[in-house]
Amino acid sequence: MNVKSPLQSLQGRLLIASALVLPVVLLIAGLALSKAYNYSVENSVKDRLQLQVYLLLGAVELKDDHIVFPERLQEPRYDQLNSGLYAAIHDQEGNLLWRSLSSILLDDPHLTEAINLGGITTGEPLFQHLSDAAIYSFQLRIVWETEGKEHSFLFTVMESDALAIRDIKAYEQQLTFWLGIIFLVALLAQTLILSWGLTPLRRLARDLKAIESGASEKLSGSYPDEVEPVTENLNELIESERKQRERYRNTLGDLAHSLKTPLAVMRGAELEEHELHTYQTLVSEQVERMDQIVQYQLSRAIKSQSKPLGKSVQLAPIVERMLSALNKVYKNKNVHSEMSLATDLTFHGDERDLMEVLGNIMENAFKYGHSQVKVSGAYQNSELKLSICDDGPGVTPEMRQVILQRGARLDTSIQGQGIGLSVATDIISSYQGAIEVTDSPLGGTCFIIRFPD
Amino acid sequence: MKLLVVEDDPDLRRQLVSALESNNYTVEETADGEEALYLGEEYPYDLAIVDLGLPKLSGIEVIKRWRAAGKEFPIIILTARGDWQDKVEGLEAGADDYLVKPFHMEELSARLNALLRRAAGHSKPVLEFGPLKIDTTGRVVYRNDEAVKLTSYEYRTFEYLVLNAGKTISKSELTEHLYHQDFDRDSNVLEVFVRRLRQKLDPDQDLGPITTVRGLGYRFALDTTVKDSE
Repeated sequence: MNVKSPLQSLQGRLLIASALVLPVVLLIAGLALSKAYNYSVENSVKDRLQLQVYLLLGAVELKDDHIVFPERLQEPRYDQLNSGLYAAIHDQEGNLLWRSLSSILLDDPHLTEAINLGGITTGEPLFQHLSDAAIYSFQLRIVWETEGKEHSFLFTVMESDALAIRDIKAYEQQLTFWLGIIFLVALLAQTLILSWGLTPLRRLARDLKAIESGASEKLSGSYPDEVEPVTENLNELIESERKQRERYRNTLGDLAHSLKTPLAVMRGAELEEHELHTYQTLVSEQVERMDQIVQYQLSRAIKSQSKPLGKSVQLAPIVERMLSALNKVYKNKNVHSEMSLATDLTFHGDERDLMEVLGNIMENAFKYGHSQVKVSGAYQNSELKLSICDDGPGVTPEMRQVILQRGARLDTSIQGQGIGLSVATDIISSYQGAIEVTDSPLGGTCFIIRFPD
Repeated sequence: MKLLVVEDDPDLRRQLVSALESNNYTVEETADGEEALYLGEEYPYDLAIVDLGLPKLSGIEVIKRWRAAGKEFPIIILTARGDWQDKVEGLEAGADDYLVKPFHMEELSARLNALLRRAAGHSKPVLEFGPLKIDTTGRVVYRNDEAVKLTSYEYRTFEYLVLNAGKTISKSELTEHLYHQDFDRDSNVLEVFVRRLRQKLDPDQDLGPITTVRGLGYRFALDTTVKDSE
């Protein structure tokens, strides 16, 4: 067995596609979620720090242009070394007026360089995440008025970002884990859905196998709406193939049976004491008969039956080909052939059948016409009407039906006559068409063929 | 007239060859398409009879390649299937006529006669040149409406000259078209035939139907008295 690429299966294609698309979707979703969480964490830090600034503002007092702090601040973390919460107050010139006890061990540059001393407008707080220093800072510049004098102070509260970062890290881990779970579950669900959704197709394959092995005759049971047109067509195809096979079998049987008679005649003739000449005539007659039988059955067998797949052939090119072929064969007769067909005429059926019908009838016209053959065609009353006319001697009304019947020959010395017309008649009637023989405006015979469109 | 028969069934081929030979044609035969292609391209045949179902190379293909190589001799195809698709394809490939198996030898003979005449530019089977009349179907020559007794080779020689009337035919061309490949080309048999033909057709020596063109060959010199309708 050859190794099949997974791309050759519908399920494989769909699974590969979703395995490729799903991670992208999940990645984007994950990024959005972690961004949103980040934002909300920072927002809550900002709120907290803002609250601390207000608390500090409430705690300090201004006395003789100096800031005075109470003995003990309400927030114990200010007095605890490296507690993670720090505060500082600077004056207008950037001189440090006060810093919390907790910030003593904090490297000075952190406090002075990392935070923004200038450029902060009074009353507009500035919140920053200084990732190099691993802190969040919240700053607010305020102006105090005492005794007609204005004092500007910059309040800075900082908090270590370790907690927030740890929070975010933990959140991202959880997020990755659950998104991974979602990915696996979605893939599994998709596999199950696909295999459930494609079940009818697998059943179709199984049913076809059953037909192939002879276990069943047609696709039975109900299929989903999308598959039903396929199964209906397949059923039609199978049916027509079955009919065709049956016809072949019948034809073969007919053929064998009908050949036995002339064979019996010849075998019988061996025993009768014929003169050479009579014997020759007898053999020749029986050979002729067998030839006709073979030709007739052969053309019936080739003839295609119903047309489930709706083939159709352009008429004009076929007629043109036949005319030029026949003109070549009957070159000596110098037949003037004429074709008047609309270009859009189509025959709904098999090309071989059409060629057989046209060939047999057109050859008659060339054979019996004196010098003119005309093929014309048009749609008439939702029928395709073709007429093939010649200027030959014509056919008497009594003979008109006879020549269309099987095995009839007007002139036994010309090969192929009779059988050809009856084959044509046969094919035409298998298409629910009709054929008739009429007088020709050219003076001879017209064969009029009608096919339902 | 030299014909090529291409047919793979040995019995049918034998029948064809013997029927054609008894009709005074020189016949060469082959059973496969490749050899047929070679023969047709190398030798000057006057007509070929080709079966469509051949081993190695199909009849249609052989005909197509002959035509592509510029070979213009008439071709009759033989088909066993007899459906029109086959016939039309064969004719489109370059054949001139078709016969469906089984056929009567008379039918084949009539068809190839017509094709040979057509190739020579005549449409009627009987050609008249003053007192001489040649019936290509019956293969009889009349002088003043009296049949002239000719041997098979004499008739062939005369017919070839007549069908190529006005053209000078070299001795080697005549030999090629009348005899098998292994014929001794140096013999003076041709001269003997021509001398006897002159004696039989023109005993009083007042007609001069066959002229010798010194160093080049022979020429049928009479004008036709009946115009072809073609």
